Amino acid sequence: MIAADIAITGLIVGGVYSLIAIGLTLQYGVARILNLAYGETFVASAFGAYWLYDSLSMSPLVGLVVILPAAFIVNWLIYSFLLTPLVRRAANRDALEVDSILFTFGLLFVVQGVLLVIFGGQYYSYSYLAVPLDFLGSVVPVNRLIAFGVAVALGLVLYLLLVRSRIGTAVRAVAVDPRSASLVAINVRSVSALAFAVGGTLCAAGGALISMFYTFNASMGVAFTMKALIVVIMGGVGNVLGALVAGLLLGVAETSVSRLIDPGLTLAATFLLFILVLLVRPTGLFGRSS
Amino acid sequence: MNRPRWLVPALLTVAAALLAPLPFIVNDYYLSLGISLLNYSILATAWALFSGPTRYISLATVAFFGIGAYTVAVLYETLPLALLLVAVILVAALLAAVVGLSTLRLSGVYFVIFTFGLAELIRQLVTWFEVNVSRSLGRYIFVEYGSSVIYWQLLGLALLVFVGGWFLKRSRFGLALRMIGDDEPVARHAGVETTRVKLLTFILAAVVMALCGAVMAPRWVYLDPVIAFNPTLSFEVVIMALLGGANSLFGPLLGAVPLVLLFEAITANFPNTFSILLGVVFIAIVYFLPKGVLGLVAGLRLRRGSVSTSGFDADSAVALSGAVADSGQGAAASAPTAAVSAPSGEPGEPLLEVRGLRRTFGGLVAVRSLDLGLHEGEIVGLIGPNGSGKTTALNVISGALAPSEGTILLRGRSIGGKAPERIADAGVARTFQLVRVFGSLNCRENVEAGLAFRPQPLQGAQAHDESERLLAQVGLAGKGEWPAAQLTYIDQKRLELARSLAQDPSVLLLDEWLAGLNPSELVVGIELLQSLRGQGIAILLVEHVMDAIRALCSRCVVMSAGQVIASGPTDEVLSDEEVVKAYLGAEDA
Repeated sequence: MIAADIAITGLIVGGVYSLIAIGLTLQYGVARILNLAYGETFVASAFGAYWLYDSLSMSPLVGLVVILPAAFIVNWLIYSFLLTPLVRRAANRDALEVDSILFTFGLLFVVQGVLLVIFGGQYYSYSYLAVPLDFLGSVVPVNRLIAFGVAVALGLVLYLLLVRSRIGTAVRAVAVDPRSASLVAINVRSVSALAFAVGGTLCAAGGALISMFYTFNASMGVAFTMKALIVVIMGGVGNVLGALVAGLLLGVAETSVSRLIDPGLTLAATFLLFILVLLVRPTGLFGRSS
Repeated sequence: MNRPRWLVPALLTVAAALLAPLPFIVNDYYLSLGISLLNYSILATAWALFSGPTRYISLATVAFFGIGAYTVAVLYETLPLALLLVAVILVAALLAAVVGLSTLRLSGVYFVIFTFGLAELIRQLVTWFEVNVSRSLGRYIFVEYGSSVIYWQLLGLALLVFVGGWFLKRSRFGLALRMIGDDEPVARHAGVETTRVKLLTFILAAVVMALCGAVMAPRWVYLDPVIAFNPTLSFEVVIMALLGGANSLFGPLLGAVPLVLLFEAITANFPNTFSILLGVVFIAIVYFLPKGVLGLVAGLRLRRGSVSTSGFDADSAVALSGAVADSGQGAAASAPTAAVSAPSGEPGEPLLEVRGLRRTFGGLVAVRSLDLGLHEGEIVGLIGPNGSGKTTALNVISGALAPSEGTILLRGRSIGGKAPERIADAGVARTFQLVRVFGSLNCRENVEAGLAFRPQPLQGAQAHDESERLLAQVGLAGKGEWPAAQLTYIDQKRLELARSLAQDPSVLLLDEWLAGLNPSELVVGIELLQSLRGQGIAILLVEHVMDAIRALCSRCVVMSAGQVIASGPTDEVLSDEEVVKAYLGAEDA
């Protein structure tokens, strides 16, 4: 019974991990920006959902209609105006990586500082649809199920867009090789900006969804950045389906460790998994060996 | 240039002595500022020691700093000071060794992400340990001494780090680090055990960081994992080192001093918005100073240098010609077309023997089956159209690639699949099709790089003299102090050959070394290779210049599409119908 419990709880958390990892894989795999402030988008969005619910009594699910376009615009502006100069001057991918790591770390502090000034350092939570439901023999709150459902739906929509649409093909082409992509008349810069913005939007969706059942504070973004990075690498950089599966896997692994061993060791377990994957399959669980 | 070795260490000692009385002069505020300056200077210097040359961006500084502090917090009541230091060093070295062994093989960004999470991982493990084993989270550290003593301890550590770093940079180990920084694969082919060097440097830097944390621990009085493992520290150290310039010993110091003062000013004046302003400072630095202060200075120096060096190049062909004439062995072949039936090695045991060599990349068979033998004092040509697998064969023989099948014997002992540095030690040196020199080293240092890591290494004055001799032999006399990156392409090829010769090889693998030479340079180049054969070096020559092949090679092996299609005396092979077809296509043959 406990196994089924772990599986269901783990998969539900994992769904949100998958969503934010897919967003990060777009930002890092396509736009080539290693965004250390990624988790801040997540936390900012959680606070946004909280604020909409608390002051305007807006359901977080309706709140997504406000939060997602806002996240898209903000991320698009960040890429177009703040990151493009760095992309343009970068001599090679390594240089861009160092620049983007340091830049987004600065951004992390700015966002975190603003959140701290507005909300302070304490933990926040609110209760929305925290109704227990009997699901496949386990008791699961409805809000978690909804979060999982929305996350999976968003992930699938994105996957279909990438595989079936013209612009999705362009995004995948840039992910493989920006220089060749520009040779076949793909505007690499605008595709990158789009990918960065969509990535940030998915991350914001994850934050708004998780805020329904999770306590959060202004300084926990880094932990989510870490988890998203680990999932991305496990799934293979730029691989959307890989991120989906690796995210679910991480959710189950974390829940197992937390239930069976010690909740304090979840991150340690995550890291162990990460190292094992890197040593055994350096290109990710589903990456092609080069 | 000719400053005595002890001048800088002596100046550092004087500086430390002048700084020592500070606690008697200033008030507590300035003393704590001094402690902060020393702390960050040491950490940034230690960070740059590893990350400067290797270009691995490590965000693990606070992991080692924190573990040093925590070791002190746990053990300071039970152990005397000396043993406490030993414990800190051991814990940090052990941790760094484990982390290094498992992650140094990772490519750049994976390493960044791993080290980014390492502090968090250690924090969780320490928290778990404290909660479950010691049953107390958070510790008090009460020592009998005050800030002044901590200041002096840090000053001592700083002196140790800078003096040690200064001597390290000038040692064989430091040379290896600079080689790795310029071109790690070439460093391996020159005989450097790069993994070991990187690991040792990582451990050394980690130990310094941990010692810094150990000294700083009593400053907090109360210590818990959240305080000890605050990830901001790692980033502050990175930005300080990069701002000052991570590739020089004193660069990080130049970055640490202004930033510590700036952060201090922000903390004092805007305590509530510290983190926002810190972020803005980071962003501003990335935007406006991409190469760091010292990066700018180095750029200026390079540009001034290149102005003064233009106009020297015309003489190099003449110099090369003269050098070979001096060695007295170039007289035999005056024209490149003259066929040479040189005293090729006895048909007995070959020095280098390759049997059934095969190398595939996925489904692509680059080398299908290669057999060749190379005797002492023999030049064998390995020729064939582009894409026929010649360079792959060289890469496998030199250890850059592992063979998929087949054996490679050097003096009857198998070297197939061994690491490049082992094969270099066994006596195989190589050059590269696209020339690869250590760009930030000068010419003499490039050659000394070859001398320093061979089985019987040369160092100091001996290395200096030998490198001058080798530079003269390849026609670079008088250019010893030139930065290698500023040489012309042809001169870089000469330098690469000199570096290979410095390894005292018995087998030399030359990958299109004569390509791109003009006719008069070609004559001289051919004479040079003949003189090397006279010294008993066996040469495997991958080449397209037919005149050179006819002049130099007693035998040739011809490859086409990964397959040997002909092998034997040069004249016979070159008139072979198959060979002509492979080069010119079936219709023209």
